[in-house]
Amino acid sequence: MSRSPTLQARAAVAGRVVLAAFGGYAVAALATALLSLTLPMPRAEAVTAATLLSFPIMVGIVVVAFAARSPTRAAAVVGGLVLALGLALRLVTGTFPIGFGS
Amino acid sequence: MKQGFRQSMAWLHTWSGLVVGWVLFAVFVTGTATYYRAEISRWMQPELRREATIAPEALAASADRAVAYLQEQAGGARTWFVTLPTPERPLIELFWRNRPGTPPGHVLLDPRTGAPAAMRATRGGDFLYRFHFELNLAPLWGRWIVGLCAMVMLVALVSGIVTHRRIFTDFFTLRRDKAAQRGWLDAHNVSGVLALPFHLMITYSGVVTLALMYMPWGVTAAYKGDSQAYFAETGQITQARPAAGAPGTLAPVGPMVARALATLPGPLERLTIVNPRDAQSTVVAVFEEPHGLSHEHPQVAFAGTSGAVVEVLSGGLAPAARTFTTLVGLHEAHFAGTALRGLFFLCGLMGCTMVGSGLVLWQVARQPKHGAAPGFGWRLVHGLNLGTVAGLPGAIAAYLLANRLLPLDLAGRPEWEVRAFFGAWIAIAVAGAWPAPRRAWRGALAAVALLFVAAVLADVATARGLWDDPAWFLGFDLALLALAAGFALVSRKVARFAGPRRARAAGAPAGVPRMGPA
Amino acid sequence: MTMPGTTSPGLTLLVCAGLGFLGLAALCLSLARHHQAVWSHPPDHRRRLGLRGAGWALVALSLAVAIHRDGWAFGPVDWLGALTGAGLLLIVVQSYRPRALLWLAPLAALLTVVAALGVPG
Repeated sequence: MSRSPTLQARAAVAGRVVLAAFGGYAVAALATALLSLTLPMPRAEAVTAATLLSFPIMVGIVVVAFAARSPTRAAAVVGGLVLALGLALRLVTGTFPIGFGS
Repeated sequence: MKQGFRQSMAWLHTWSGLVVGWVLFAVFVTGTATYYRAEISRWMQPELRREATIAPEALAASADRAVAYLQEQAGGARTWFVTLPTPERPLIELFWRNRPGTPPGHVLLDPRTGAPAAMRATRGGDFLYRFHFELNLAPLWGRWIVGLCAMVMLVALVSGIVTHRRIFTDFFTLRRDKAAQRGWLDAHNVSGVLALPFHLMITYSGVVTLALMYMPWGVTAAYKGDSQAYFAETGQITQARPAAGAPGTLAPVGPMVARALATLPGPLERLTIVNPRDAQSTVVAVFEEPHGLSHEHPQVAFAGTSGAVVEVLSGGLAPAARTFTTLVGLHEAHFAGTALRGLFFLCGLMGCTMVGSGLVLWQVARQPKHGAAPGFGWRLVHGLNLGTVAGLPGAIAAYLLANRLLPLDLAGRPEWEVRAFFGAWIAIAVAGAWPAPRRAWRGALAAVALLFVAAVLADVATARGLWDDPAWFLGFDLALLALAAGFALVSRKVARFAGPRRARAAGAPAGVPRMGPA
Repeated sequence: MTMPGTTSPGLTLLVCAGLGFLGLAALCLSLARHHQAVWSHPPDHRRRLGLRGAGWALVALSLAVAIHRDGWAFGPVDWLGALTGAGLLLIVVQSYRPRALLWLAPLAALLTVVAALGVPG
């Protein structure tokens, strides 16, 4: 990025910020819900462990979002993760993720 | 970000740090002060007389007086919180939560009479404590903003470690040469690297203290969102007892206090009384944390109407829950004795230095060339930097000063102290926005030093006659003077820095976070 | 605040900080620039290795003392706190008065020994 970034560069940065914030949170949230239900320990322990892990997961996703070679690739990685976790959660619960409305 | 991993992380470190730096600085400063929250509260109420010991019977009588007051003044409240007197703070502190939409109530009672304590009204150290994670905003807003900033701080720490790996081989240097940029960079590196374990711990554990608010989805998935059930199942709180909906009469709490003291060892800290006028009312006696890193309060729950014990909670947490409570415990450092607390405080100061010097570094590294007018962005960052880094400490000094100078019988005195806090902050920020940057910094930091000196002078002049332990108060004042000396020193340092041209001419040294190829 | 189990947490911290200070000082002096600031010549190979080895050994000893005295929970916390404080002192000293290390190091050693004798157990 030079002193006067082009509009395209600005858009790329803005895209990564949005991806890091919302994509990162979505991955962390889905992972927390999934791990809470699947970790092989008592329910309360699984929820605690999953919640503790969620923040490092989110930091990792933010780093990936900014380190990826292009915004498109970053979006693909994060989007793929969201999709995979969402499907896994659906398999586990038999309903759509994180009980919206349930 | 086309330039490889290290460069993209350098970029991320610079910009993520800048965007949240102002809030983080405020969080670090008020959080560091919170290590001495009890001491600040004591200094701000010099009328308080400490006691050698408090007998169990006196404790039980205090509980009865507290409940008598609450029955009269807060009968309709949903929950009563009674903090019992300790030798260090021989006061009954009452807090009650009303129906949603009605503000909560709060009062301090004299444990001997049960009447409101005759002391100046102030929020004391609690104001700084709450500011630390709520920024004096509506709790929901404040906590989310602080949590967001803490997450970005974690990102800035990780990206900083990745970018500046080389610094770890030699972080023993604070260069004394006069290039402003080098000086700030070294201050940033030293405070960041030396206290890195603290920074990682305090940021992560800080997010963890409010984990269920930020990341409730595990509880949503496994408990259908019932966080009380989750906490009770982990063994951190006693089982919730829902209201019966029928009226009931609370049994005397004095015997419950005696029973709790006989059941568990250790000092009793507070009582929580849920649904006090319901047939299913609950009284929970909460003990101080036993010696250990983990933040867990042993508890005894009583059925409110009969006074029968329904649950005793004491230790025995499972590994993950224990990890959670240990992180919270590490964050609060209640376990730390005098020396270790001092070291935590020092680490907190280094956190403030890291954030503050990082902010200034951004500004200095982009200082406009001699003669060139600074752009709007640079001026904005300068104004916010000065307003935060000098303004907030100045605000704290003004808060202490107002505590000594405001008339004792002023209506709404606590609110006026807070107004003094924000008034001083705004005044420093606005006054610092106009002069040339270096003069503004020098003047603002000197003003902060003067405010701390003024707080000490006001204490000695107005409150000397009230001190129950002069050595203690003089010690606190001495700490304030040390802070003043620190600000005066930095003010002088800023004045001695060479102009920006020389720093520039030397070329940007390696390791300066910059935005890619300039 | 009473601390059952530890009779003198301050003294333990002092021992940890003293050992940490000496260890970090040795590590610092194993670097050419800092060695030069004290003795006006860079360290030769053997000296550098010696300083580095002594430095890590002392830092490790500091951790061992902390864990021995305060257990596995408090030990590491005390150790990190003491090491951070000692490191700050070292950095300030050797940035502003590098040659002061010549008398500060023996003083730290003396204080450490005295504090260690004062720690029961």
